[in-house]
Amino acid sequence: MATKRSIVEGDSGSQDLKRVKMGKGGDAKDDKFNPYLAHHYEDDNSNGNGNGFSSPLDKLERHKTTAAQASKCEDSDLNPWTGQPHSQRYFGILKTRRDLPVQKQRQEFLDMYHSTQILVFVGETGSGKTTQIPQYVLYDELPHLNGKLIACTQPRRVAAMSVAQRVADELDVKLGEEVGYSIRFENKTGPKTMLKYMTDGQLLRESMHDHDMSRYGCIILDEAHERTLATDILMALLKQIAARRKDLKIIVMSATLDAQKFQTYFYNAPLLAVPGRTYPVEIFYTPEPERDYVEAAVRTVLQIHATEPEGDILLFLTGEEEIEDACRRISLEVDDMIRESDAGPMKVYPLYGTLPPAQQQRIFDKAPEALRKGGRPGRKCIVSTNIAETSLTIDGIVYVVDPGFSKQKIYNPRSRVESLLVSPISKASAQQRAGRAGRTRPGKCFRLYTEKAFKKELIEQTYPEILRSNLANTVLELKKLGVEDLVHFDLMDPPAPETMMRALEELNYLACLDDDGELTKMGSLASEFPLDPALAVMLISSPEFYCSNEILSITSLLSVPQIWVRPNNARKRADEMKMQFAHSDGDHLTLLNAYHAFKGAEQNGQDVKQWCHEHFLSFRHLSSADNVRAQLKRIMETHDIELMSTSFQDKDYYTNIRRALVSGFFMQVAMRESSNSKVYKTVKDDQLVMIHPSTVVQSPYDWVVYNEFVLTTKQYVRTVTNIRPEWLLEIAPIYYDVDTFEKGEIKSALTRITEKIRRRQAMKGGR
Amino acid sequence: MGLAGAKNKRKLGNDPNNTKWSRNTETFGQKMLKSQGWEPGQYLGVQGAEHAQWHTEANSTHIRVTLKDDQLGLGAKRNNGDECTGLDAFQTLLGRLNGKSEDVLEAEKKVREDHKLNVYVERKLGTIRFVSGGFLVGDQVVDTISGKKAASEPSSATESAVTSEEEKEETKSSSKRSKKRKADEGSSDEDEDEKKKAKKEKKDKKEKKRKAEADAEPSSKDKDKKKSKKRKAEDSDDGASDAEQSASRDRDVKESKKERKERREREKREKKERKEKRREEKAASKAATETGDDTSREKKRRKGESDSATTSGVSTPTASGTSTPTIMSSSRYLSRQRFIAQKKLAFTDTAALNQIFMIKS
Repeated sequence: MATKRSIVEGDSGSQDLKRVKMGKGGDAKDDKFNPYLAHHYEDDNSNGNGNGFSSPLDKLERHKTTAAQASKCEDSDLNPWTGQPHSQRYFGILKTRRDLPVQKQRQEFLDMYHSTQILVFVGETGSGKTTQIPQYVLYDELPHLNGKLIACTQPRRVAAMSVAQRVADELDVKLGEEVGYSIRFENKTGPKTMLKYMTDGQLLRESMHDHDMSRYGCIILDEAHERTLATDILMALLKQIAARRKDLKIIVMSATLDAQKFQTYFYNAPLLAVPGRTYPVEIFYTPEPERDYVEAAVRTVLQIHATEPEGDILLFLTGEEEIEDACRRISLEVDDMIRESDAGPMKVYPLYGTLPPAQQQRIFDKAPEALRKGGRPGRKCIVSTNIAETSLTIDGIVYVVDPGFSKQKIYNPRSRVESLLVSPISKASAQQRAGRAGRTRPGKCFRLYTEKAFKKELIEQTYPEILRSNLANTVLELKKLGVEDLVHFDLMDPPAPETMMRALEELNYLACLDDDGELTKMGSLASEFPLDPALAVMLISSPEFYCSNEILSITSLLSVPQIWVRPNNARKRADEMKMQFAHSDGDHLTLLNAYHAFKGAEQNGQDVKQWCHEHFLSFRHLSSADNVRAQLKRIMETHDIELMSTSFQDKDYYTNIRRALVSGFFMQVAMRESSNSKVYKTVKDDQLVMIHPSTVVQSPYDWVVYNEFVLTTKQYVRTVTNIRPEWLLEIAPIYYDVDTFEKGEIKSALTRITEKIRRRQAMKGGR
Repeated sequence: MGLAGAKNKRKLGNDPNNTKWSRNTETFGQKMLKSQGWEPGQYLGVQGAEHAQWHTEANSTHIRVTLKDDQLGLGAKRNNGDECTGLDAFQTLLGRLNGKSEDVLEAEKKVREDHKLNVYVERKLGTIRFVSGGFLVGDQVVDTISGKKAASEPSSATESAVTSEEEKEETKSSSKRSKKRKADEGSSDEDEDEKKKAKKEKKDKKEKKRKAEADAEPSSKDKDKKKSKKRKAEDSDDGASDAEQSASRDRDVKESKKERKERREREKREKKERKEKRREEKAASKAATETGDDTSREKKRRKGESDSATTSGVSTPTASGTSTPTIMSSSRYLSRQRFIAQKKLAFTDTAALNQIFMIKS
């Protein structure tokens, strides 16, 4: 109570002033609008703000508010949005909010916001931009007056959810009511929602049905510097929409580094910068290049532990295996250090995307205490992939060790291979990493490369996702969004023409685009599914093969991370367990078996978590697949796609499923090079590939359909299922038009099969 | 890796880049793009857009990747030859052939030898740890830059050795580079210039460190402090980005002809400083109670220490360079040795043996 009062009293001077201002605006009922007396007039609904209660917001005028007015509303006893009294917690949070760096520039922000349609906002991490700016906008847009929502996009689902929760707490409302979130496969908004956090992909999907985004009064693109595919597309779209809809406001929020590029892109939009709360970071380079960056990283960590004062360490490595290995080595050496000399304790935590959330949470644990009183302080060391670079903020990090590598996904439109390779990071990324050391106090960053290497070998910026991805899905979305001219679509970073060609070509073969490039019925339907076009087409055509239920399951399983768990210490047992589910015809069917077993266990009332643990399956991913399946099923039902199954007793049960797989994945087929070789050749692109060792397929088949083609240590096709070449000719005759093939084994094999089919038909006809 | 390296066979197809597809002008995709007004060689997107200034090669063709299947650090090259034994002997000859002056060669040789010695000593004898005890100025001991903090912190000889090595190596690398450039341009003046540059680089590094700790600079270096402050001000003009970034960038950009004069002045001052340092060293080595060490080595180490320590009082564990030997394992060996010793002891002790083998006698 005491804090509240002090705020009230402290404010009273300005309050009077404002009241005078308001009076000029023609408001006679002065007393009634005093927020502190509002509860006296609770049953007086005469001011008609639609909410049925008197609120300090009534005095505000849209797009003319000031920071002082807004903070007065925030200070009031009653929640201006719901009319309910504020909870005690609210004022606690409000106090911390007032300390955020961004708060100081609230007025400046509002002035700028009023003066322009598009605003570029730069705020370093820790400035509070993600939570505060949307609320500032909320108090200015006053969505309850015109019913237009405020959207704030996030690149990551988790961020959208957690930030929405936080902001709901800050506004003292229930999540899902005034503040909600919407992510793929989950929507937590209601009719009252005014502020909506959502993934950028989700906003893009919404705009497919609402080309003008007319539901929204203001759209905030957060973390734009991450340049996700969806954000890039959204920016280009919003640029177009902004010209059509003058009432739509757009805020692009980014980190410092490439703000100028954003400004130029948005017709030299004004820029507002808010400093973050960062401390200087001292940067060290090595004098010579390192011969083994993992070794060097481990040593550096130990050296820091031995010689540097208190503070946690963050080490960036590239992949799961490398991280686990480094963690083991560091812990071993630290144990030695403690035994041999009086070193402080150190906890080592791995951090990577596929780590179960409970273990991910452990990185927020406190550093261990000193072993004895007065002993050397303990610290924690987090060994992470580049997710700790942007996505996560871990306080207490003082030392950063940066070997300069990360795993990056890059798509090659020529061979249609997606590579996930270790490559040097960018300068921007290196700075971002270093910045992680200066969040709580001045820190140090140890770069395991020379300054020369930093200057010469690193590119300036990380390539945006749009340059690194297969664009088939994007092109389909763009077509659905009504973008006709793909060539002149004003993207910030236009993709390589070849990538665009490949995407168009794939869509054409999938019959999503007709020969004139127009969206077909199939294409329009496929774009309704938040899936890759091939998967969507497979799903849509599955009723023709009487197995849409099964294909639906397989599709959901393919759109979640690997369900197989293969811990390092129990690889063999995990593989044995996987073989229990194995279907000799391929991995897709094995996935399906595992899923059916999972559902079976669920129905039998077993402890599913335990069951998954015993069978080396990921409960988390299986249940999210279950969730995805439910969502996809709903979409199928709204578009009248029949759900059916072949009887399990029917000998064609699995054959039908395999045939259905071909209907979507006929462009991802490989043929064995020769009868006893392990090398396969992809159809049309003639790339030599191996089947990924994780497969259950033991006897090699001549023709396989694969889910993905990746380049890791070799060129692999992953998740393969055996098919018959006749199906290819039958199901995808256009793609498998033998005349269009180059001379080679595949062509001769296909010719042979055509002959065979013809002969068989002739025999049938003759009879 | 030569014959000893792991074999890594990889079968390549006839057309691994699938140029067949990219050359095919009849594909649906290409037809579509052309029908919308795209011409081969053009970027997609709005033609002549303002933001096109940032377009790179990645906007015109797919991003090339290389398969990295080793753990080589950034910038390191396989077989970069600095472990090559025997070639040292030819370095002077090769240098002479490249037209280097005797002085340069001598300096290079010295660097190499120092480096070798350091490596040898570290491998053979391990290192002795020292604690920073301030600097002797005149006949008074002055605390280091961050006074008490640094004093309580053990700054080890290992580190200083490493840092000194570092610095040496830096000069080495820069002289290497100069060699290369030299070959390109073939003028002897250039060499001198390069040397200056190398020095400057070194100095810059120091300056940077100093800047990080600028406030706690000892009073004797007032002039320097001013200078660094000036620089700092320059940097902070840049504003937007964080200090380090601007510092490292600015150094490239702003180091222009204007500053040449300044640099020369600085160099002079630096010389003076060095003289002072030497004096300090002498005093310090007298004061040092550590004896029994080979004096020349001591001196060298001292020099390394003062070189790095004067610039940054706080011990800075730099990542061990590639050249640093495997010190890390030594602790493990130590415990192992102890373990073995215990075992041996047990074997000689009959009573213990009897107990172990459960012999009752």
